Amino acid sequence: MEYILKNGIVFDPTNNVKGEKKDVMFKDGKIVEQVSDDAKVLDVTDKLVMPAGIDPHAHIAGPKLVVGRMYRPEDSRRGATQKTSVIRGESGFSIPSCPATGYRYSRMGYGTVVEAAMPPLEGKHTHEEICAIPNIDVPALPLFGNNWFVFEFAKENKIDELAAFISSWLKITKGYGVKIVNPCGSEAWGWGKNVHGFDDKPPYFDVTSREVVKALAKANEKLGLPHSIHIHPNDLGHPGNVPTTLETLDSIKDVKKNAGVRDQTIHCCHLQFHAYQGNSWKDASSGAEEIAKYINSTDHVTCDVGQVTLDETTTMTADAPMEYDLYKLSGLKWVNKDIEFETAAGIIPVIYSAKSPVNTLQWAIGLELFLHIDDPWKVCLTTDHPNAGPFQRYPRIMSWLMSNTRRMEMIENGEVHKWVNSRTTLPTIDREYDFNDIAIISRAAPAKIYGFEDRGALTPGYNADIAVYDIKPNEIDPSKEYEAIEKGFSLTDYTIKDGKILVKDKEIVQVKKSRTIWTNVMGLEKEEQAVIDGIMPFFNQYYSVKWENYPVHDHYLSDPIRVDVQASK
Amino acid sequence: MAYEAPITDYDHIVENCTCAFCGCNCDDLDYLVKDGHVVAVRHACRLGASKIMEDLDQRLLVPMVRDDDGELKEVDWDTALDKAAEYIANSIRPIFYGWSETSIECMKEGVALGEYIGAVLDNQATICHGPSLLAVQNAGYPVQTLGEVQSRADMCVFSGSNPMNSHPRHLARYSVFCRGYFRTRGRFDRTVVTMDPKFTDTAKVSDLWVGFEQNGDYGFYNAIRAVLKGKELYQDVISGIPREDIYELAEAMKNAEFGTLFFGLGLTHTLSKQRSIDIAIKMIIDLNKFTKWGLTPMRGHFNVNGFNIFMAFESGFPLGVDYCRGYPRFLSGETNTIDLLTRGECDVFMVVAADPGAHYPNGAVQHLAKIPVIQVDIHWGPSTEIADVVLPGSFIGVECGGTSYRMDGVPIYMKKAIDKPETCRDDEWIIRELKERVMKLREEPNVAPKYVPNPAAL
Amino acid sequence: MKTITFNQKKTSAIALEFDELRPDDIYTWEKADFDNYGVPIGNSRFPLTDYFDIEIEGEAESPDDVKMILNGDMGRVKYIGCKMSGGEIICNGDADIHVGAEMTGGKIFVNGNVETFAGREMAGGYLEISGNTKEFCGASYMGEWRGMTGGEILVRGNAGKQCGECLSGGKITVLGNCDILAGIHMAKGLIEIHGDVNRWPGGQMKNGNIVVHGKLGRLLEGFVLDEVVTNPEIDGKSFEGKFIKYTGDIGLNGKGSLYLDAIANRDKLGEYGEHDDEYTSIREYRNL
Repeated sequence: MEYILKNGIVFDPTNNVKGEKKDVMFKDGKIVEQVSDDAKVLDVTDKLVMPAGIDPHAHIAGPKLVVGRMYRPEDSRRGATQKTSVIRGESGFSIPSCPATGYRYSRMGYGTVVEAAMPPLEGKHTHEEICAIPNIDVPALPLFGNNWFVFEFAKENKIDELAAFISSWLKITKGYGVKIVNPCGSEAWGWGKNVHGFDDKPPYFDVTSREVVKALAKANEKLGLPHSIHIHPNDLGHPGNVPTTLETLDSIKDVKKNAGVRDQTIHCCHLQFHAYQGNSWKDASSGAEEIAKYINSTDHVTCDVGQVTLDETTTMTADAPMEYDLYKLSGLKWVNKDIEFETAAGIIPVIYSAKSPVNTLQWAIGLELFLHIDDPWKVCLTTDHPNAGPFQRYPRIMSWLMSNTRRMEMIENGEVHKWVNSRTTLPTIDREYDFNDIAIISRAAPAKIYGFEDRGALTPGYNADIAVYDIKPNEIDPSKEYEAIEKGFSLTDYTIKDGKILVKDKEIVQVKKSRTIWTNVMGLEKEEQAVIDGIMPFFNQYYSVKWENYPVHDHYLSDPIRVDVQASK
Repeated sequence: MAYEAPITDYDHIVENCTCAFCGCNCDDLDYLVKDGHVVAVRHACRLGASKIMEDLDQRLLVPMVRDDDGELKEVDWDTALDKAAEYIANSIRPIFYGWSETSIECMKEGVALGEYIGAVLDNQATICHGPSLLAVQNAGYPVQTLGEVQSRADMCVFSGSNPMNSHPRHLARYSVFCRGYFRTRGRFDRTVVTMDPKFTDTAKVSDLWVGFEQNGDYGFYNAIRAVLKGKELYQDVISGIPREDIYELAEAMKNAEFGTLFFGLGLTHTLSKQRSIDIAIKMIIDLNKFTKWGLTPMRGHFNVNGFNIFMAFESGFPLGVDYCRGYPRFLSGETNTIDLLTRGECDVFMVVAADPGAHYPNGAVQHLAKIPVIQVDIHWGPSTEIADVVLPGSFIGVECGGTSYRMDGVPIYMKKAIDKPETCRDDEWIIRELKERVMKLREEPNVAPKYVPNPAAL
Repeated sequence: MKTITFNQKKTSAIALEFDELRPDDIYTWEKADFDNYGVPIGNSRFPLTDYFDIEIEGEAESPDDVKMILNGDMGRVKYIGCKMSGGEIICNGDADIHVGAEMTGGKIFVNGNVETFAGREMAGGYLEISGNTKEFCGASYMGEWRGMTGGEILVRGNAGKQCGECLSGGKITVLGNCDILAGIHMAKGLIEIHGDVNRWPGGQMKNGNIVVHGKLGRLLEGFVLDEVVTNPEIDGKSFEGKFIKYTGDIGLNGKGSLYLDAIANRDKLGEYGEHDDEYTSIREYRNL
């Protein structure tokens, strides 16, 4: 089937198209340069056309999501909507059910969402949920930062073995890249403790976070994976964590990049939570400027923000000790989930209130990061869904970024707490994002950071993943009409995924199965077998499942997209 | 127990099969197969082995439909499926119950059918660990996988649970006797406490038995919480336990390096129901201020946790999910099977891999006898006696592969070892067939003409 | 004032759902609207007029002008007055689950018994039940920690288990007895029980007040005896008589107050005072 999207205003940063009026053509699921006269014309005159969105960091599928849904029925009922002849009934606000997740991303014009934490032992579960999410492609990042085998390799600096281990575990879990969460901290949580700073060690292990992160970064680059290491540094959410964050980012400076598809060697997720100055919440202030300065001065770091949206939401992270600290503050129900020898996770409900000084500070730091980091290619739009807010709020964040008027209104009207004036630089920044910047932070940059070579741009040959918004970029003044911007980005006129029209006129008209994307490293088969043979005695003795039951079988994947990488020897 | 000589007469061994009995989901079983039958099982406990070594006298082999005289008559698959589909298509308040002894793959079909027709989907949790789930919703859920317990735990508390009888390999494989990375001497490195009004078999192997009085659990845990906060107890005896013992126990729990609480139906079904679990969870959370503690509900069926997990990601609610208005909703007391049955609301009941005839309270079974009941199962049971259509399924983990979730949420793929009897069908196939037939018979009810977002979520 | 009378023609074994028949929805409705309305029953909708004869009198400008009168056995009618913001509902007969749930204003009178979850998460208004009610009266939704936040519930009969669970405001008065765990997890508000209480009121309460005029079966260890007070003023309301005041639930540093009638519960004082001389005044009351 051939289609032509006619007369849209196209923003395609990868191909340097900035608001040109042009046609976008696609055929059999791919963007093409020419179509025949039989092509079906979709008239989108003067409307905003972009590649479909890519969310570089969200929690949408996996064991901790399911516990969140199980234990927050009060959240599930908030989003209950009736089924139609096309879609199933939805539920959930901050932790929507699997069908609702897919539909809502689709309505916002998103096509790819990265599930940012997959415990290898429960990888099958993550993939089962990915199969239950419609309409979006979902790569998943397995967790390596607290894995005992990784500790062993890192301690002895066996980078080759570690590389083979990663490549084999990506195959076993059908994962895309290397995720590190609170390295060594979640292991310490096995004993109810945490690590503090970048050079701390967990009990019984003679290895520091620094060694683990450096080893994983070296191994990652040795393999030349499409994505760099994806790190959630230590001390998340603690005032005074800026030095830890900067040390973490700086420790990778010397690691040589080995992948042409991306620019960075370290991607730091939800940076907002890692940019607090001060000693306690009483004297906390923003560290965004300092961190932004560092990122502006280097080129090995990218980040996503984790913007607080001032909603009631659910925080869930593999940084379990931090969740217990949060629980002690709020006293609401607390979930903890430790996974043997691999990771831990924690969940609590959280209410971000604009009346609260701390939440306002977090809100402002997120926006400061967006506005202080000069190069939008280094920063991505996320809320770390659902930690800082649900993903349905992306359009609102876009409207904040595009409108200094709105930001100043919130500050001056007292919609947010007055800490924003005294503890952050937000009131002094008047930078406003334009549509091209928005297209970069929500599509082009994530695609580049993940090394996707089939999406995130309207290049011929790429997947026909396109979003058309009911916004006329040449007529609207985003600074003043921020409400129209939010509304326009919330519901698309068209969401096209793999050439299929999924959303038309703000309604879902078609549902398609999701696919997972995973990285297949080739050429290390012998090394992988040696590593597995080496860890087998431990596995057989201590893991509570049999080896045969550990890998994610093909049974749990529907039509996966395999990214082949040739390992450099 | 008389000595039984080992089985030596078999054709081949299928290794690393998963046990389809309790929530331990032991995945290290070896089946000894002869002539297409499992003749012996290695590594399994007696409960698991006896279930896996199929008792063919009681096996349902042929579809049956109850005729006008009230007798179950053997029929062909088409007739039976059509009859069942007709019942479902004409129903107003159908309940699809069970699912805990079948695979996630079958549940997928079940939820599709349930969503289409607007049914209530519920599982055995409604009569066993439902209160635990309600308590989890109130208090939280500090859990860990069983491998963590094996390697780290130096204190295991069993409350209202008797795994020596109900989960026989639990103590040996995951919690008490096994040697872990940090507990190299196994049982000798651990303190085992049993809290139960009865002196159970588990209490016999424990270091300490806390025999609080029946229905005294809420008061007892409340007292422990007060002690953990540093409060003095005023009553001499609380819930049948002397005050000094409570001090001592609280101190021991605080001083453990890694503790785990396993609780069973003895805690969920006392006077205070979910609140006993609620306060036990809160106690565990309090203990985390001193050291590391976690808990695990001792789930009964091998996939009862699986259904709760599956429904949570499909609908947002773990059990008792009511689709009758076209969207999922849940409220304990309104959308649960037992309430609907005792109130006489349900008009068609499909039971998939469960035996309500044996487990339900009298009032609920009385209502079941009045309405059409469709049974999808492998075994004859009391439910068969009240069933109007019987559809023989296949045995997950033996005759058919499928996914299940262990009590701690670890997914396990249960592989197929032998072929199913020729006349039986896979559960997944049966439910899919029903769905397709129902779709032909009745237009989908309660479909909104247009998507209307929920204002509460904006 | 618009009076809409629902006279029951027949009952249904499967519950009818009245969530779309709030005064807020029907104040503009004419006879024809009711005739065309299909009421949800299970997975289907059936004509409302199969089950009720509807009489309409007068006109209404707003929901507040509506008076709904339900005559008959509403024991299988769920969600009566659920989420209503104004008007008045009089139910002459038993009512089913969720009467007055999430209501923000208006009044509901039930002349009969009520099933579970009466006045769930009420934020305002008034709910009166002449008979008994079952579990979770004035409670919260599953997993929700913010229960009823305002309004008032009066139960003339007995209330079931966990009455006022997670109460975060408002007032519940029970003239009869209360089953176990009244006011569990409560954070604010007042529960007044005129009859006896089975056991464990106020489990894990953070704040708020519970007053028991009758006899209490068993008290939790988490409650610490404070003092014996005479004619106390609680939550802006003065009470006559002598009350034993406890603070709890200490297991979570709660600051809630539990008042027990001193005369009905003098045996409770017997458990105290043996360990400590502070309670001399209590010894005096012990023999009241």
